[in-house]
Formats: sequence, C-alpha cells, structure tokens
Amino acid sequence: MRLQIILAGIGGQGILFSSKVFSELGLKMGLDIMGSETHGMSQRGGSVIAHLKLGKFQSPLIRNGAADILYSFEENETYNTLKFLKGGGICFVNLESVDQFNKRIMKVLKEKEIALRAFDATGAASKIGSIRSANIVLIGYSVGTGLVAIKYEDLKYVLELVSREKDLKINLKALELGFQEGKRTSKNPGKSL
Amino acid sequence: MGPGPIFFGPDKRTKMKKTGQEEIRVLLGNVAIARGIVEAGCHVVTSYPGTPSSEIVPAVVEFKKELGLNTYIEWSANEKVAYDNALAASLTGKRAAVAMKQVGLNVASDSLMSSAYTGVIGGLVIISCDDPGPHSSQTEQDSRFFAMFAKVPAFDPSTPQEAKEMIKEAFELSEMFQIPVVLRPTIRVSHAKQSVKLAPLKVLDREANFEKNPERWAATPKYRLVLHKKLNETLQKISERFEKDTKWNYEVGKSISASLGIITCSVSFANLMDILDELNLKSEINVLKIGTPYPLPQKRIADFIDRHKKVLIIEETDSVIESQIIDKSKVLGRLTGHIPLAGELSPDGIHNILAEVLRELGIANLEKITDSKLDKLIEKLNLQVRKPTLCAGCPERAAFFAIKKALPKAIYASDIGCYTLGLNLKAVDTVLDMGAGITLASGFYQAYHQDKKDIPIVATMGDSTFYHSGTASLLNAVYNNARFILVILDNEITAMTGMQPTPGLGITADGSKGKIIPLKELIKGCGVKWIKTIDPYEVKNLVKLLKEAKEYSQRKDGGIAAIIARHPCIIRFPEVCEENPVKVEITDDCNGCNYCLDFFECPALYPDEERNIVEIDRNFCVDCGVCIDACPKGAIIPMEKKNKAPL
Ligand code: SF4
Ligand code: SF4
Repeated sequence: MRLQIILAGIGGQGILFSSKVFSELGLKMGLDIMGSETHGMSQRGGSVIAHLKLGKFQSPLIRNGAADILYSFEENETYNTLKFLKGGGICFVNLESVDQFNKRIMKVLKEKEIALRAFDATGAASKIGSIRSANIVLIGYSVGTGLVAIKYEDLKYVLELVSREKDLKINLKALELGFQEGKRTSKNPGKSL
Repeated sequence: MGPGPIFFGPDKRTKMKKTGQEEIRVLLGNVAIARGIVEAGCHVVTSYPGTPSSEIVPAVVEFKKELGLNTYIEWSANEKVAYDNALAASLTGKRAAVAMKQVGLNVASDSLMSSAYTGVIGGLVIISCDDPGPHSSQTEQDSRFFAMFAKVPAFDPSTPQEAKEMIKEAFELSEMFQIPVVLRPTIRVSHAKQSVKLAPLKVLDREANFEKNPERWAATPKYRLVLHKKLNETLQKISERFEKDTKWNYEVGKSISASLGIITCSVSFANLMDILDELNLKSEINVLKIGTPYPLPQKRIADFIDRHKKVLIIEETDSVIESQIIDKSKVLGRLTGHIPLAGELSPDGIHNILAEVLRELGIANLEKITDSKLDKLIEKLNLQVRKPTLCAGCPERAAFFAIKKALPKAIYASDIGCYTLGLNLKAVDTVLDMGAGITLASGFYQAYHQDKKDIPIVATMGDSTFYHSGTASLLNAVYNNARFILVILDNEITAMTGMQPTPGLGITADGSKGKIIPLKELIKGCGVKWIKTIDPYEVKNLVKLLKEAKEYSQRKDGGIAAIIARHPCIIRFPEVCEENPVKVEITDDCNGCNYCLDFFECPALYPDEERNIVEIDRNFCVDCGVCIDACPKGAIIPMEKKNKAPL
C-alpha cells in the first residue's frame, strides 16, 4: 500500500502534531514512513506544510499531482496546495461550506475528479472549548465520511500514544466529534463534489 | 491541540518498551542524528541553535533522559564556543559532537581550520545543516565546501536513517585518522521524517586524559607546515578508504545499454530515485550515489564516467563534486549550465533537468512540468502570501511600535531572531548576520559622524543574539566613541529556533541549573553608562524613554544609551499574559483607518470590510492590551473601563 498525504495550514494550527498522528498510524499499519515538515520561521504564522508518504518511497517530498489526500486547515492554504492532489484525490478543508470555495477552481477539480469536502472544524472545535483541536476534528471527520482507509480505533490508539497527558481528553473528544459529524454527512452527503 | 514548539522524539511508548533493540520509530532527521550521536557512545554534545539544526540537542537531551546516560550537553553561547568545547573533550580522548546551521560554521570556522591541522584524539564530528532554498537562512552556502576548505572529510546523507548510520561511521573515521569529520545534512534530511531502525548503544568508558604535547596542540608556524603535510597524507589515506567503500558510495543499476550516467548525493539522490522509478527510466540511466563528497573517490568517479557517454552531476547546493572531477569532458552539471546556480533542487526541478538532458542527448522525450490550468487559476486569485509575523501579544511588536513612534527617522540596524519580523513594521532596515545589529549601528555612526552629521540610529538585538556575539561589538563601539541607541529585546529565551534557554535564564540544555549572566551587568561591563530596563508593553513609557535615550546619545558628555526591553516571549511563557489579562474591545470611534493594521499588525486584528471597522479575532487575541496604545483615535479600550463607566 502507498498513501501520500499533504497537511497544510498556518503556523500554530497543529500541522506538525497531525503529521505525527499520521506517521504513527502508518507505523501501526506496518508501513514505511517518509515525509517532510516545515520548522523554523514559518511556524510564526506563516504557511506550514507537512508531506507524509506511507509505503515504499525514498524522497521525503510529494510531487505535484501525486497526493491521495489533502487536509487543509485554512482556506487560502488550500488553494496553494491543491496542486499536490492527483486526479481522483480528495481534499478535506476546514471551511463552513463548499459554496465559499472559488467556483472556477471547483470546476477544474471536478474535471480531475478531485472530491472536495468542507467542514467547519474550527467551529466544531470551539464548541468543545478548544479551537486548537480543529486539526483533530477535521481528521476525525475524514474518517467518519468513510472516504479514507483509516479505522477510527487505530486513530484513537495513536492519539492516546502521542497526545500530551493534559491534551488527551480534549483530543479524544475532538476526534469523536469530528467522526460523528463525518458519519452524519456521509449518510446525507448534501453538497460535495 | 499539539505539543509545544519543540517537537520530536520519544513518547509514552518508551515507558512500555525500554531501550528497544530492533525497535522502529518515526524520527525527524535531526532526531535520527541525535540518536546516531547517542548510539556512537558520544560523551559530549555542544551546539548553538539555528534552523535547520535546532532539534538535534533537545533530542539528545531526551535520549539521555530516556536511556539514563551521562552525556554532557550544552547550549553554548555561539558556534565557535561550541566547537572549542567539543574539541577540548576530544583532546581528552572522549567522543564529542558539535551541531550548528551552515552559517554557524562561519562563526566556528577559525577553530575548524586550525583543528584540521592539529587533529583530534577522541572522535569529533561536526554536524553542519545546510539550507538550500534558503528557507530560514541568510545564505545558501554549501558546508561541504567548508570541509574541503579545511581539508577534513565530509559525509552527505540522503535520509534520516542514513544520517544516523553515517554519524557512527564519522566517529570511527575521526578516531582512526585523528581528524575532525563533517556531516552535512540538508534541510530536507534534517526536517525529513522517516521510520528509522534503532540500534543498540555503544558503551565507551573513557576517562578524561589530556596528554600534553605542546608541539602539536600549541604548534608554532614552523611545525604547522609539518602538520599540514601530515594532513595531506591522512587525506590520501582516507580517500583510498572511500575508493573501496561501498556502503556510502554505490551504483544503482548496471545497465550496459545506458548511455547516461548520473552522479548524485544528499536528498537529490532520494528525489531522483523516486522519479526514475515513476518514469521507468532505470534501464536508460545508471546512478552513482556519493555519500563521501570529500575527499572524492576519484577512481570510482573516473571509472563511472568512462562507462557512459555523458554523465550528469546533480548535487545540492553547490558544485563540490563537479568541481573536483579531473576530466570534465563528458560531464554535464552546473558548470555547463544544466543545473540552476541557486535555489533548492525540488523533485519537479530535477524532473525538468532530466527532461532537458534526455532531449539534448536524444535518449527520450520526457515532457517538462509546466504550470497547469489549476496553477494559472490560482495565480489569478492573487492570494496574499502569508508571511511570517510576530505572534499576537509578542513583546517585540510593542517595542518596535514604540521605536517607530519615538524615532521615526532613525536608521534601524537589527539582527537575527523572531524580531527580524520587525521588518513588517518597517522598524528593521538591516539584517546581516548574528551580532551585526550593533556593529552596523556603530559603523553607520562613524560614517555620518565623519561628515559632522549625527543622525539617530537604533540598534535592536535579541537577548540570545547579544550573548552570541553582542559583547565584542558593543565594547568596540564604546571604545571608539560611537553613539546610538541600543534596544535589547529581552524575551528571556531563544524563541525563533524553538525556545532554547539563554545564559540570562540560568537553565542549561538539559534543564539543570546554570549561573545567570544578567544582561545589565554585561552591558555595563562593555562600558555603557546609561542603561534602563523597561517592559515594552508600557508603550507610552517606552516612547518617552527612547526620547531620553536619544537625547543622552547626542549630549556632549553622553554616549551609547542602552534600553533592555524585557518581557517574556508569550509563546514560551503564556502564563505571564494569563496572569494579568487586559481584555480589549473596539468602540464606535473606530473609523476603519487601518492604522493599527498597517503599523502595528497584530494578527488578532482584522478588517471588517463591510462595516469598515477593525475587529478582534478572539481566537488569536491573548489579551495583552498593547493595541490600546496603537490606535490613534483611542478606539481600542480596555473592556472593564466601559463597564465601569456608568457607575
Ligand atoms: S515566539 Fe515569542 S518572541 Fe517569537 S514572535 Fe512569538 S511571542 Fe514574539
Ligand atoms: S490585546 Fe490587542 S495587541 Fe494584544 S493580542 Fe489582543 S488584539 Fe493583539
């Protein structure tokens, strides 16, 4: 199995933590992990992007048009990183609704059979009083939709492994919340592509 | 929610599984390097932080704790200091590693050059992390050239796993030939992440034992010539060893029909291999991977070139391998214009280089990667590039705002750290290298003063940068009668690179207690007579103080005026803001002039375009209350004030 994931957002949104979650997940699935992260100046509110490749790879970077999944925690960063997705790939974006997304770009995505799923992870996370958990909410959401080959139990196991003790409870809550929302919308897909 | 700014290594599993033998962990490249240091049985580790090297030392600290080791680890005041401390350990027979970013090696180069001649006893490995791009540096310099310049061997890893293995080999080589050895990971290795196989630790019981030998350790110029000749002999032996080595230097693919050969190294090798796989070009192209770029295994290279019609050299960042090749008649590379002279070699970049060369040689017709329809559409969106900015509530913003306000016409000589981002506030005119905030300020002063013009000059420098290289610059300025205002932005930490402690904090690398070196005494010791300390959150008072400072610096009996603007970094010490929150709100007096956005630029303030006012994003706001002083209309006020008003 080979899976290439891009995580995009801005400094402070927990991209590196999300990257850790996926790499531990890969390890649990018995896969080789290769990837790349942004550290340094950009962590002060600049664009932060993590490449994660599960399976046999040598290069730490994902090429344009090669990613299976894009998680974007910020709208503008989505536009900047869509190029990584392959035809038939899927993008989960932290956004209230796909209606907000640029229409002409949506058209191109449709041509390439790229699915776009928008979910207001920040809003959901603030409901449980932890806006910084939006990253986990969005990941939970993606698993809930059933569109990615990741098991809820595995994700939970990994979160228990990598969360700091004081964050664990809220992280699990965020995961559950996102997951249920994902499940709900997949039963009733409404507007996606 | 994620962990704090420092992000690496061991986690709860270590409680479950103690010092695993065949354990696999996903490690950041720098953490893998730290693991290599530990597996090599290294006794002493020193460093000054700098992207992309900063995660190495904290990871060594974690491994030390996890494995109960006795490693001595220090954050040194600067890279030269780090180098010398590591070297001394090596002279006592211990193994030592010193880590830095590539420009840090400039600072340590004096010691590197000299110790290449005198050599080492215990293994000494220099880890110098390069930054092609550059992503977070002032130059793209190639540390391998420094190794060549100093005449010491260099290893060039392609992956975190390989970096870990190479470290161990570097220590062996260093001891075998009594020579310092350089490991040069690029940022894509240091900040790559890989599932890495751990190995058991080497246990080396060594007691410090410095054997006196002044002829060698205090060599006079006459004996230096002898040492230089010896060094050349040593290099010859090492190069013979590298000729035979197949672990770091090896060929992939031995297709006799292949007319093109590629010699490559570092992450370019990894990128290239994935591309050749993807494009099914493995029977058309043979690859020679070089892990020891200096001294170069010349015979292997010549033999490889011999077997191919043309040979392309793909290396980052400069032409270290290419320039060493003796017969270049069949070689394509930077020197023939086939590889860009600047910037990182991305996978797409390598793809396009390949396409060009394959077309030129008539081997294959590979389509180049050009901007897609999507790229063009997105370009048209004209998205604002999100530039890094000082955090909401950052004390440096408050200081810069006050400086701009008090001395709008001054020359602002600044330095390297989070506060370089004072650029956005237009309160930074120069950033050269570590310590140059003060030296450029004194130089500016002398150049103007020579013409009998005394203009206001403000030098800004962080606390860590001042400890790194501020004192020599400052005492020089005092000694030579320079006059300017020095503002030390003291956030009590090395923030930009991931919150390393400074000598001002009195905590050492592994969290144990160190002696505090108070900034004020240090500045005083440099001969400065006028020193004031203030919290930059008190913007109005700081403006007043800056004006006094200017007056002092221009007075007949005056001199350099120093202000220590002290307020803890709110990312490292969030509790400080939580203790005394000043919740602010924006009143109807806001007329959308955007002054606060343009000249204060707190990321928690944003324009509400519909209502033509500015709003506060509570998700970002840390209740520092500084923006109250930033609004010229007085439209930003503390919340309780309004609540109290009706009483
Ligand atoms: S990390 Fe600290 S010093 Fe750096 S910008 Fe943020 S608040 Fe300022
Ligand atoms: S109080 Fe004002 S300056 Fe401080 S973080 Fe909030 S908006 Fe920014």
